[in-house]
Amino acid sequence: MLFIQLLASGIQTGALYALTAAGFALIFGATRIFHVAHGASFVLAGYAFVAASALGLHWAAAVLLATAVAVAFGMLVDLLVYRPIQRHEASFFTVFVASFGIVICVQALVQFQFGRGSVAVSTSLTRSAELLPGLYIAPVFWVAAGVSLALFTAVSLFLERTNAGLGLRALSENPELLRAYGLSSRRLSALAFGLGSALVVPGAILTAATTGIEPAASHRVMLISIAASVVGGIGSLRGAALAGLMLGVVENLVVLVLDTQWSEAASFVVLFVFIVFRPSGLFGKAVTS
Amino acid sequence: MSEALLSVRGLSKSFGGVAAVQNVDMDLIGGVVTALVGPNGAGKTTLFNLVTGNIAPDTGEVHLEGRPITSTKPHDVARLGVARSFQDLRLFGKMTVHENVMVATEPATWLWQPGGPEAKRERLARVDEALERTGLAGLARARAVDLSYAETKFLSMARVIATGARIWLLDEPSSGLDPNSRKRFVRLIRDAIAAGVTICLIEHNLDIVTELADRIAFLDQGKKLAEGEPQAILRDPTLIAIYFGERRE
Amino acid sequence: MIAYIVNLATLVAIFGIAAASMNLLIGYAGIFSLAHGAFFGIGAFAAAQLALNLTPDLLLAFLAAASLSIALSLCLALPALRVRGEYFIAASLGLQMFAVTVFHEAPSLTGGHGGLAGIPQATLLGIEVGTPWRFLAVAAVTLVLSLLLIQILMRGSFGRALMAMRDAESAAMAFGKNIPLLKTLAVAAGCGLVGIAGALYAFHISFVIGDSFTLEQSVLLQAMVIIGGAGTLAGPLVGTLLILLLPAALTFMPMIPPTEIGTVQQFLYGAAMTLLMIFRPGGIAGQSVGRR
Repeated sequence: MLFIQLLASGIQTGALYALTAAGFALIFGATRIFHVAHGASFVLAGYAFVAASALGLHWAAAVLLATAVAVAFGMLVDLLVYRPIQRHEASFFTVFVASFGIVICVQALVQFQFGRGSVAVSTSLTRSAELLPGLYIAPVFWVAAGVSLALFTAVSLFLERTNAGLGLRALSENPELLRAYGLSSRRLSALAFGLGSALVVPGAILTAATTGIEPAASHRVMLISIAASVVGGIGSLRGAALAGLMLGVVENLVVLVLDTQWSEAASFVVLFVFIVFRPSGLFGKAVTS
Repeated sequence: MSEALLSVRGLSKSFGGVAAVQNVDMDLIGGVVTALVGPNGAGKTTLFNLVTGNIAPDTGEVHLEGRPITSTKPHDVARLGVARSFQDLRLFGKMTVHENVMVATEPATWLWQPGGPEAKRERLARVDEALERTGLAGLARARAVDLSYAETKFLSMARVIATGARIWLLDEPSSGLDPNSRKRFVRLIRDAIAAGVTICLIEHNLDIVTELADRIAFLDQGKKLAEGEPQAILRDPTLIAIYFGERRE
Repeated sequence: MIAYIVNLATLVAIFGIAAASMNLLIGYAGIFSLAHGAFFGIGAFAAAQLALNLTPDLLLAFLAAASLSIALSLCLALPALRVRGEYFIAASLGLQMFAVTVFHEAPSLTGGHGGLAGIPQATLLGIEVGTPWRFLAVAAVTLVLSLLLIQILMRGSFGRALMAMRDAESAAMAFGKNIPLLKTLAVAAGCGLVGIAGALYAFHISFVIGDSFTLEQSVLLQAMVIIGGAGTLAGPLVGTLLILLLPAALTFMPMIPPTEIGTVQQFLYGAAMTLLMIFRPGGIAGQSVGRR
């Protein structure tokens, strides 16, 4: 029963990882920007929700506010940081450092405003019920799984059925088009940043509602997003989501054989092994080294 | 006909089902200038990459002076005396012109080079000579990214010259050059031929081909369609139709 | 006050070495490692264990720290040979996170969450060098020697080969450079040198703990190099000075509460990284993007 219990919490963690990583993969696929500040969007959305709840806002309004913050932040970083850099130099290194700088700034600002410790929103969703003898499931499990599944389906449909979605997919499948399209790719890139950043919201809110969120969470989110994208195959949305789910499950199941302190390290061992032995990931095309 | 310096037999390579190079035979004969001609996508650059070991062939062999060098690592092929240039140049952008050329003269991958100060003087002399011959001596301290287009093309040549290699594989070395620079380029190649270098060049400018090449190998869609004297090849109406047909698209 | 300045100067020297070694990787070889903090720690733990169990001799500590770092640098060289760009960053990130877990969870090697305390004062050829002034002198000499060594190597064919690899790997190959060997050498040199910096750090602080060698430390080392100017000799030193003196300067600013200095500093160097990349990607000591 311990196995099923861990599997359940693995799926809960993994579902949120999956969405967050899918957002990162969406942005990377469409723009080739390694948006490590994705973790900062997560933290900002989480804190926006916490602050709004503290002010007594209805939870739906708080969710909307958190979404608005994440989307605005993602698009602003694209507009104010990545665009100017790409205008004079498109080197991967430069973009990465700039993005990393943003992560540090956001972490400092949040720390300044809300303190270093973690903050949480209390909710009845986390009250567990005994589903089977020895298996405790809290409502938040169903929320996490349901929201993730619904949003992922929605995004997939959007990418498959709408013109803008097709544009994004074309960009991610053939980056050469980025150059050929020139100006019109800008609007698509803004769309990718908006949509990708919005996908951090469920993870951020549910983290705030369960374990609590802290300013340094951005690092962890960034790592998971990168790990899931690499394991899934960089640029593949489905791959990133599946790998995110897998990382969440592995992280929880590791507890069966090792002490809990090693659970985080497990994801990074998975990441490392994939990079060294199968850099193209689960669904990616072969990369030339 | 004298012994082939570099010979290619039955070389094939396909990428994801598309045959980039199919069963190509080719000989580079000492002192002879061979031009690879053909429409874009004919597999000319891939052929270079197969010879220099950047890509491993599916089938076929490459021999250098009778020694098999198939699938030898690029840096080892380079040390055996095969130098190449790239269509997109691949200069060492943030390094100076002098450093760019210096790198080409330093064979060892280690913390220092063998041979001590004497060998270093010899290398420096080779760098100076290469810069002199390409007209870049005055720009030795400039960074590669700051050069004009023609200067970058000549820097790419200077790197090849400085290696002292006996075989040069040049990928579109004169493309985009103005008439004046092109004349200088032709003179550069003539000097090299006189010094005993064996050259294979990919070239789209048929004037340069007729001016420099002793032989032409005509490639299309990965296959070698013909090889022979320039006059014979360039008078063949089928080949010319393929060549210019592609160009019109 | 004097003691404070001597301490700060010693830290500048130690981090100067670490930043210079980071520069070897980022600036010259184009290997963007996020695991440098981990290797700093590996050197520190190696020196601490040696000092606690065998001898506080500094040269032996350097040897042990550098050897262990170089041996473990193969973990970083492996992905460097296989992948580039984003993938390598991700791999080095994984390595860094894994190393921190090991630092925390392997008490027999690292003292675990409690760290290793009570590291004795260093000796050099039998002479005590643990007093602040002497240790500053030792650290400063090590810094100068490291910079000299880097300068000699980078001005020579090795440095040219590294920079060629950084600027155009395939062309470097075409001119006879054995890229796997070159990368392995570069990673070994960078990690070995930061291991030595770690050894100095262990003796200086006399207490090592995994918390000092986290991702933040790696990012800090990167920030020093990038803010100062990657690929230049002076760059990492300028960056180190700025980043270490900043909190000192902030202490004298009346409007900032002392508890927030760390946060303000963090914000400033984050902002500096982003703004420099937008307006001056070469760093303070670097050349601006040239146009002709």
